[in-house]
Amino acid sequence: MTDATAALEPTVRSSAPTGDRALQWALGALGFALLIGVWEFSARQGWLNPIIASSPSRIWVAFLRQAASGDLAKDLATSMVEFGIGFGLAIVIGVTVGIAMGLSRTLEYAIDPFVWFLYSSPLIAFYPLLIVWLGFGFATVVAVAFLLSFVSIVVNAMAGVHAVEANLVRAVLAFGGKRRDVVLKVILPASVPHILAGGRIGLGRALHGVVLGEMFGSNDGLGYSISRYAAQLKTADVFVPLLTLIVLGIVINQLSGVLEARLLSWRKA
Amino acid sequence: MDASDATLLERLLEHRNARWIVGGASVATLLIVWQIAGATETIRSDLISYPTEIAASALAMIESGELATHSVVSLKEFAQGFAPAIAIGILLGLGFALSKPLRYLIEPLFVAMYTAPLIAFVPLLVVWFGVGTQSKAIVTFLAAVVPITINTTTGVREVQEPWIRALRAFGASRWQIIGKAILPGAFPVIMAGLRLGVGRAIVGVIAAEMYVSVYGVGRLIQTYSTSGRAAEIFVLVGLVSSFGFVCIGLLRSIETWLAPWKARA
Repeated sequence: MTDATAALEPTVRSSAPTGDRALQWALGALGFALLIGVWEFSARQGWLNPIIASSPSRIWVAFLRQAASGDLAKDLATSMVEFGIGFGLAIVIGVTVGIAMGLSRTLEYAIDPFVWFLYSSPLIAFYPLLIVWLGFGFATVVAVAFLLSFVSIVVNAMAGVHAVEANLVRAVLAFGGKRRDVVLKVILPASVPHILAGGRIGLGRALHGVVLGEMFGSNDGLGYSISRYAAQLKTADVFVPLLTLIVLGIVINQLSGVLEARLLSWRKA
Repeated sequence: MDASDATLLERLLEHRNARWIVGGASVATLLIVWQIAGATETIRSDLISYPTEIAASALAMIESGELATHSVVSLKEFAQGFAPAIAIGILLGLGFALSKPLRYLIEPLFVAMYTAPLIAFVPLLVVWFGVGTQSKAIVTFLAAVVPITINTTTGVREVQEPWIRALRAFGASRWQIIGKAILPGAFPVIMAGLRLGVGRAIVGVIAAEMYVSVYGVGRLIQTYSTSGRAAEIFVLVGLVSSFGFVCIGLLRSIETWLAPWKARA
């Protein structure tokens, strides 16, 4: 069932968690604590150049400063809005195109080469083109996020349609259902697991797109802040948006996991 | 066969090559429309260029040696990062799978790093390792090492217990078990990690070179971007995509060659 997806995008597969949750949490926290401790200690001992390597305490000070000045909130808000719109468009358009490709083989064959091109190209190379069309800033960033996440959603939605059991379709048709009923009552619900899988891959790619877009085609948002602070050699300040992005990535990933479990709970019954 | 039987999901291919014919026709149509729109300046050709101009640019870039010079630099960065990523990724993955404390201690750090967009680390890596090739090799390494490690861990942990027990029962040593059961069993999952790593690493190198560098394909893309040369950008994007296809194809052949029992139909 996951073969069609795997063919395009091999996934990172984490093994199932085992029972010892407490030990896992404790050691995980210890790992982070060790990293922070060793880093801070080396910086205080002068083993690391404080300008280049920074240190946890310096990052904390930078965090407080950026939080107090409102810079961090502004960057975060900009990036989140760009992410939301880019990913939202990718879901709506991607699912529509993917299902259409799944239903019509002619359409599938006709669009397939372009999907592959979108998937395999370093799309960010086209950012100057996007800037000319959409202007420097917001819209360009949204477009990059959209383009990056769109493909995985299309391909997975299509795979979802292909995986629908023919018997279900036949049953609806036998009882006098129309093509519309087949799409709405069988194909859409049956494709949900695939669509969600594609959406999950798309989430990560959209976030990547936001940062790429901001670094090359905007002067706003977390991605832009990272490159601006780095250019000023303010390493501690670089870490603030960077760590924010890491946390954001984890939160988005966890939320999508919860949503996925919710939406798929009916299948277990 | 009545009409309803031929609907939606069970249509047979009317023609064996339908995919290539329809796909080819659609690509050809696009190329023709593109050529006309670009060559007649219906759409500004400095933005979208057109196929014959792109072909001419490709030839010019090959002849001047520019393409070769910069590709070699990018390739070196890629190789310098990817080779150690395979070795360290597989070793770390084995370590994670065989030692639970080690996995619990370090894996969360890996996952945290993996969830964030790799490109976000590039400015920092440039500050740390300079604008030269070293920072790009490290981007490649980081892009590839995480998926390879995580997939090796998963692959090893999913190896069938009975194989290991059987080997042990026949008196196999620890290394024999690793060599005869664990590595072959985990191989397909490890290869999936490698394929994922390749994709991420290529994008990482190009984006890092675009961000700041002296040589490399990404540097060239950036140069032509700022001078509004669409044709050259298309050539370079095509080059990078082809490289990706070649790498993935190569990995797939290696997989079929080394693990014919797992090969896809």
